[in-house]
Amino acid sequence: MNNINGRVWIFGDDINTDLMYPQICYTLPQEEKPYHAMEANRPGWAGMVRKGDIIIGGRNFGTGSSRPAADNLKNLGIVCVIAESINGLFLRNAVNSGLPALEIHGISGIAREGDTIVIDFVNSIIKNARTEEMINFKPLPAFLMEIIENGGIINILKNKGMLGKPL
Amino acid sequence: MDVVKMNIIENILFNHSVEPVKYVSPGDIVTVNVDRVIMVDMAALHPEFLDNPPVKPFDPEKISLVFDHYVPAPNIEIANRVNRLRKVVDRWGIKDFYDVGRGGISHVLGGEKGWFRPGSLIANTDSHTIATGAFNTLGRGLGTPEVMNIIATGKTWFPVGETLKINLENRIKPHTSAKDVFFYMASKIGDIPNKNIEFSGNGIEYLNIDQRSSISTMCAEVSAEFAVFPEDKILKQYMNERGYMDYHAAVPDTNAEYIDEMSIDMGKIEPMVAMPDRIIGNIKPISEIGRVEIDVAVVGSCANGRLSDIRDVAEVLNGRKISDRTRFVVTPASKAIYEEASRLGYISTIMEANAMVTNPTCGACLGGHMGVVGNGDNVISSTTRNFKGRMGGSGAKIYLASARSVAISALKGHIAGDLNE
Repeated sequence: MNNINGRVWIFGDDINTDLMYPQICYTLPQEEKPYHAMEANRPGWAGMVRKGDIIIGGRNFGTGSSRPAADNLKNLGIVCVIAESINGLFLRNAVNSGLPALEIHGISGIAREGDTIVIDFVNSIIKNARTEEMINFKPLPAFLMEIIENGGIINILKNKGMLGKPL
Repeated sequence: MDVVKMNIIENILFNHSVEPVKYVSPGDIVTVNVDRVIMVDMAALHPEFLDNPPVKPFDPEKISLVFDHYVPAPNIEIANRVNRLRKVVDRWGIKDFYDVGRGGISHVLGGEKGWFRPGSLIANTDSHTIATGAFNTLGRGLGTPEVMNIIATGKTWFPVGETLKINLENRIKPHTSAKDVFFYMASKIGDIPNKNIEFSGNGIEYLNIDQRSSISTMCAEVSAEFAVFPEDKILKQYMNERGYMDYHAAVPDTNAEYIDEMSIDMGKIEPMVAMPDRIIGNIKPISEIGRVEIDVAVVGSCANGRLSDIRDVAEVLNGRKISDRTRFVVTPASKAIYEEASRLGYISTIMEANAMVTNPTCGACLGGHMGVVGNGDNVISSTTRNFKGRMGGSGAKIYLASARSVAISALKGHIAGDLNE
């Protein structure tokens, strides 16, 4: 997978799925959903996100529901989520949506909001472009990287002919 | 090398491994065969499912479709979408379909219908699937796209996490509930993503299946992967009474390994409350929070809308009227619970107190319907989550507590855990 080079947004501990994908999103048109991400905890944030941005969270990122919260962040333009720790369901949902999600202990200290970081998936290193500080990470298992590189599990199922006609 | 000793969770993953392995241990990723896949009505609201459903399921007998979040449909958009979802029943040949008025919340219905067999492995589109742990069953909530993959293939993968052993000791006090035990535990362990909980201890025998389910369900809120109880005579009796004899319970190997072990004396726990917006790091004894007036009280959900909870509410209300300032919504978690609560007189006791009893649904817990709250509301609820905006307006303050404490608070019009204070 190619390097990701993106601007950082910093979030704290226990950022939950319902903040990323509020209840109202369930019945909104798909294109409107991303603009409601984080409106309860950070009003106006979604409008400031540019395609290619990265989120760095604290502990227990993505705790909560099975709703397509990771997908909503991806559709907003977020290209990678990194956190001190990530809820297991959220991590799976991110990967299955084609969004890389990395658990890296110590990531919180590596960047300030607005910094640019470079994520090198080949060498499993993240570098802050401003401070040149670097941190190694444990790569995701190869079969999960494959799902991400295919753009998510739905694409894989489609390519295998396992999805049928609409209901 | 020595033979690896596996705990309950590792044994279940091992028994379901697709590839023959000698053992599983923390750090492994294991591909497993899934015994049952449960899909709830929320799949109809996923952007992909209705347009691109799996062609056919790996085994229609192992698939359940349960309408629980939005029953009955609260608006035209959802009514139209679930109409499309219903078509999958005939297309796939699903027998275990529970439509409006027929079932209840999947995590409750699954126990009633014998889908949670001790030692088995369950996948479900809802995040509180960890509830199955009360049945010595591994369950994981998964996103709709991943469940589509499991429906097509019958398989998925799980990381083998480290397991925390928690010994529940002694009997809970009469005015304390299993929910308070969870809150106390959560206040001690904090968030534990990627880790499991295995319950043990002499206090388990005093907890019925409802109470165990309350604890296992809430373990989603500390981000546990799995949380399981052992099979014992109470679970055996539950299964036997319903004619579910065909299963192989999972037991820990002698000298099974755990990352840590802690004991909780349930006899010392007082009624607790999770303060608004989060559970982690936000739990207090009710006796310490001062006066908080309550506009809305809710009892329901997979965690605490069970018969034991409805009974607690009826016992508290018993001939009294709730506070004039409070609206109280009570939602039995399944049709069977509603019927039994009705037969036992709980429903009329609750209604006589001026509380409203709704049909079984997840409704209020997710801010969907049947109890949506507004900005400025102070809410006390026995449901699962108090995230900002979870139950409706993001300006509402949601406190979580046991069903019993919610009922006491509804009577008094402010948060209280002691009826006689």
